Amino acid sequence: MTLLNIAVVVKLEPDFSEGSISYNPDGTLNRSQTKSTLGPHSKIAAQAAFYAKVKYGAKISIGTMSGHIANSALQMAMETCDAEVLHLYNDKIFAGADTIGTAEVLKKGIEKMDGKMDIVFSGHRATDGETGQTGPQIAWKLGFTFLGNVISYDINLEKRTVTAKRLLSLRGISDLIQEIEAPLPVFIAIDPSYKYYFSTASLRLTAEKYQREAHERANNYKDRLQTFDSEELGADKTLVGLVGSPTIVYDVQRVPQGKVIRHAEILDGSNPEHIRKTVTAMREALNAMVIK
Amino acid sequence: MTKEHYRHVYVVIEHIDGELLPVSFEMLGEARRLFDDFNRRYDLNEKVVAVILGHNIKNLSETLIEHGADAVVVADHQDLKDLINTIHTKVISQISLSKEIAEKIEPNYSQEFKKPRYMFFAADSIGRHLSSTVLADLDSGLASDVNKLVISDLDISHFVKTGGKRIMYKKTLEMYRVDFSGFLWTTILCLDNRNEKLSIREYSPQSCNVIPGAFKPLKPDSKRSGVVIDFQPKVSDDDLKIKVLSQKFVEDKVDFDSYNTVVSFGRGIHEAPEKNIKLIEEFAKQLGAQIGISLPISKSVFSASPTISSTYMIPARVIGTSGKEISPMLYVAIGISGAMQHVSGMEESGFIIAINPDENAPIKNVCDIFLKGRLEEVIPLLMEELKIQQQVVQA
Amino acid sequence: MEKYDVAIIGGGSSGLAALKQLSNLGKQAIILEAGSKIGSKNISGGILYSKKPKKGKVTNVEDLYENFLDDSPFERKITKYILHSTSKDKVYSMDLTASHEYQSNFGYSVLMNKLNSWFAKQSVDISQKFGGGIIPRVHVRSITWNNEGRTIIQTDEIDEFEVKAVIAADGVNSEVAEMVGARSKFTSMQLYQGVKVIVRIPEKIINERFGVNSDEGAAHLFAGDITLNHIGGGFLYTNRDTLSIGVVYHFNSLLKNPVEPHTLIDTLLKNSMVSEFIKDEIPIQKEIDKNLPQEEQLRIRFGVAKLIKSWNDTRRNYLSSTHDNTDELKSKLSFIQDQMVTKYGVTFGTDYVESEYSAKLIPDGKRCRMKKPFFKNILFVGDAAGRGIFVGPRIEGLNVGIDDAVRAANAVARAIDKNDFSQRYLGEYYSQLIDESPYTTDMNQIDKDYLKIFLDATKNVPKDSIGKRYGPILKLMSNDTLRGIAVKFVNILGYDKIFSMIESEDTYVKIPIQLAEKHGKIVSSSYSPNILSLAERIEKLNYTEDHVSHIIILKDSEFMKKMIVLCPAKCFTEEGGKTILQHEGCLECGTCSHETEWRHPRGEKGVHYQYG
Repeated sequence: MTLLNIAVVVKLEPDFSEGSISYNPDGTLNRSQTKSTLGPHSKIAAQAAFYAKVKYGAKISIGTMSGHIANSALQMAMETCDAEVLHLYNDKIFAGADTIGTAEVLKKGIEKMDGKMDIVFSGHRATDGETGQTGPQIAWKLGFTFLGNVISYDINLEKRTVTAKRLLSLRGISDLIQEIEAPLPVFIAIDPSYKYYFSTASLRLTAEKYQREAHERANNYKDRLQTFDSEELGADKTLVGLVGSPTIVYDVQRVPQGKVIRHAEILDGSNPEHIRKTVTAMREALNAMVIK
Repeated sequence: MTKEHYRHVYVVIEHIDGELLPVSFEMLGEARRLFDDFNRRYDLNEKVVAVILGHNIKNLSETLIEHGADAVVVADHQDLKDLINTIHTKVISQISLSKEIAEKIEPNYSQEFKKPRYMFFAADSIGRHLSSTVLADLDSGLASDVNKLVISDLDISHFVKTGGKRIMYKKTLEMYRVDFSGFLWTTILCLDNRNEKLSIREYSPQSCNVIPGAFKPLKPDSKRSGVVIDFQPKVSDDDLKIKVLSQKFVEDKVDFDSYNTVVSFGRGIHEAPEKNIKLIEEFAKQLGAQIGISLPISKSVFSASPTISSTYMIPARVIGTSGKEISPMLYVAIGISGAMQHVSGMEESGFIIAINPDENAPIKNVCDIFLKGRLEEVIPLLMEELKIQQQVVQA
Repeated sequence: MEKYDVAIIGGGSSGLAALKQLSNLGKQAIILEAGSKIGSKNISGGILYSKKPKKGKVTNVEDLYENFLDDSPFERKITKYILHSTSKDKVYSMDLTASHEYQSNFGYSVLMNKLNSWFAKQSVDISQKFGGGIIPRVHVRSITWNNEGRTIIQTDEIDEFEVKAVIAADGVNSEVAEMVGARSKFTSMQLYQGVKVIVRIPEKIINERFGVNSDEGAAHLFAGDITLNHIGGGFLYTNRDTLSIGVVYHFNSLLKNPVEPHTLIDTLLKNSMVSEFIKDEIPIQKEIDKNLPQEEQLRIRFGVAKLIKSWNDTRRNYLSSTHDNTDELKSKLSFIQDQMVTKYGVTFGTDYVESEYSAKLIPDGKRCRMKKPFFKNILFVGDAAGRGIFVGPRIEGLNVGIDDAVRAANAVARAIDKNDFSQRYLGEYYSQLIDESPYTTDMNQIDKDYLKIFLDATKNVPKDSIGKRYGPILKLMSNDTLRGIAVKFVNILGYDKIFSMIESEDTYVKIPIQLAEKHGKIVSSSYSPNILSLAERIEKLNYTEDHVSHIIILKDSEFMKKMIVLCPAKCFTEEGGKTILQHEGCLECGTCSHETEWRHPRGEKGVHYQYG
């Protein structure tokens, strides 16, 4: 049986847990003082890849683009999905890229991976600003069918198709679950609510086995780590980094502050004047637009 | 004056089986406001173009025009019935690049037309991804989760874009988004590369996806007129191998996100559960609010009629760590003491009113107004006052 | 349907021992464990003993796990065992180290999460070789026998499968026992309720305070007024850099005089001797000025949190025996400390640091052990079979469970070899092995040699405090010949006839109070600990909530009313005369199980203990 070829693109993110994060006085993130970790959404993407490994058998490769030392994130990703290959794309010229400039690098990286990919996984979004465009843009550049918000999936190895359930949250109507079938290869951006599920004892034993293997591998992750710069990736320098990015951050300002803290005004429910005041406050609260 | 290759704003409309989503009207409303001003300021006649894909959707064009569209491009085809990213991306690209469509929108600008000037999408499960792939295909930039838009002429000096020189970028869309920390508002621009030392490139359309609820829709006006343009999409056989097998709404879920106001109740209802819940029901109806509960209520603590219990005393309505975390503009906590468990589910609300007879209840520390009193007495008074104030507004 | 030779229900120390032994014998076995990972649901006092009984043989932990002593997955070897009688600020202490060492190779203090994780690791490779292993996050719902007599296991999580034999190691609240009707639920008479907190203290401070080196540890037991008039007492065991502190009371005595479990443990913590044992230096944050801009408040909050975290880590490291760059750590520590003080106005004070609150029921083997610990092809081991030794200060459970499990594994392996899983060949044989266990003997009768050692330890106790009832008996018993006759007589008459005499308010409460009052030393404490509230304790615990409750109230009874007080997590409240349940903070101890429909939470759900 030929194994599935799976790639996972992950992102190194600041560790937002208390005790790890630092802010500058102006409210911006102090990156040099803040520890980095595997982004939580990336971790879920790695878990989704692990599902395929246990259920169908797969060779998993992980790729990340980072200017920081992303080793610990790659190590965590490896431990999550028992990957065999780790790619780090690191070059000064990659810095400052917007999503499309980032997507170009990751596309090149995936093409460098051994064999043609059947599925690429990414997280739903990142917690530090990126809002989920990179995944679909990589997919488009690769020419893979993009499936977003995937909450579960299965693969038909004979037909070489994937069936996935997608959760669509749309303001104004109830959530929708769409079941979709697509031929491989596909690019799956996994929904944050994704959780793999193994329904037999033997699959669970297999999962346990791979988890232990992953743990061992992750301890020696450096053996499998490969680093690429733009040259080695064969990246077109006009398509990556700042030069390849259509958008720039023009200005940063403070969000106009609402109330700093709540100081409850104590009113008497039997006093008509107080009732009037409350209702007025309610109506004012509803008239205030979000930020305008 | 250089030739203008980029014209109009294209708004990608969202609907589910012919039911238009509110965000579609919000985008049209904002596009209309921006373009009325834009055309006046630059003495132009560019259009707000609604782009809608689907099957059996022609009847929606009228509504879109009533909400501010000058033109509606309708791709009505069996193959577009389902929301499939690949197919929709390609069709939207075809529409965006089509000179024939541009010709029908405004003949004066169609000669040099290459792509739209601006494009708006919704920042939701459909629009986020669709905007990403469409812009990857059109090879331009995208800002996400935008909640404010301004069009202006900007004098820019940027070490990559302009090579450090000052260059005037006309009709630039300033796209504002709140960054992840919640404290900072960043302005994103999509700018052509005009640095001669690097490759010169034009990036259009300037595009964004906008947060549902951030903009106000226009009041529908049946006097508005516009052109409806049919577009025959080309879908490849390969792409048709991607199939939607089923699509269904998630039932038995309580929708809090669509409501600006949430009214929740807790153990304070104990004196007459059935009666009090009915009173709260009335109150919520008057406010147009969704109803939430505190955790203990979901435990069948109080006896009430089967209808009331099965509607309200259910885990799906629980606000708190073991339920939903919400942040409506207005939150009214009735007879809720304010256990940590509950507070963490509602403390991000815009304005919080607590109604409670016990002034020592911890909810006092997380609300803006603490209205002391028994709910049985206070709510009827509030309802009466609300009625009066609403009448004043209408008059 | 998938097939496996043996299913072991429950991945505690007994279940894991069964897996190890079966794998050693080349048999295929799988463990089904409901917790998110091995060790996350297990609680013990706890001391793990290795014994050398004078008659018969037991399999000790180091026999089953050859690397046990080298890898040392335990905390400290207990070398001091002291009983304190308390009354207010007075304490009368007795050294019981000799009785602790009775027939023992060693007794190690242990934390179950660490210990069981280590046990699991030892079985992984070998069990995999025979197609078995450990499956966490699976909760067994039913065990049935189909028309062909095949044993089918159904779970809440995975497809049903078939097995040849089952080892039930699912603890004191064994669902297996209940679902097949192997025994009735244990009664309040047969159970003790234990509640424990983990307190953090750097290693070197423990060494100094308890007069031990890093490999050694102390056990302190408490009786007297700290019991608030209950039968049972308190304990404090030293771990490497934590203390296990808890109270264990007879369930019946709690029902008679209901006091909230957390109040009982607070009473112990507030005892001046214990307060002194648990104290440590802790940083105190300055209140953040609420008028500052929100992001500034947040910056300070995160800044302080980060410094405190690294101060704690550095200090723990500095005060541990496992580093060799003391000077470097010392200067790092003082640098951080300086930053805390100058940048954020942090001050330092004396308090204690509590990390984990837990609860467990303990079966009193002499009252509740299953006489025939099997049902069809299911063998019960350890707590599930009600097997624990509970005689005064002698409390053993882990070693009993491990030995039982080895016996069960041997019986099952023999059945596999013969392909005979009949009651006669498997169950009866196992029952016979259990009868031969020296531990069973300990649950059955008084051991006169142990009694002698215990009495020797108490021989200097002033007799004026012993009271009319026990004074003459003690005197009688200190004579070797008479003691021999008396013990023989009791064992013939039935050990159970004297339970009420050994376990009485006199022995646990009144006599200790008198001893302390008349002969105790005053121990004073320099501070009073800010003891965590129950809500804070629950908040510190880690849960995966399940909207579906694993407990259902069956009736509104007197017993359920008492649960409002006796549930260690206060899951029950009264609302309009009705007892209602909020299962979200449940510690899964089973205290309420007697009159509720009680199940363990589904796979992965419920509480996850970090220490155990």
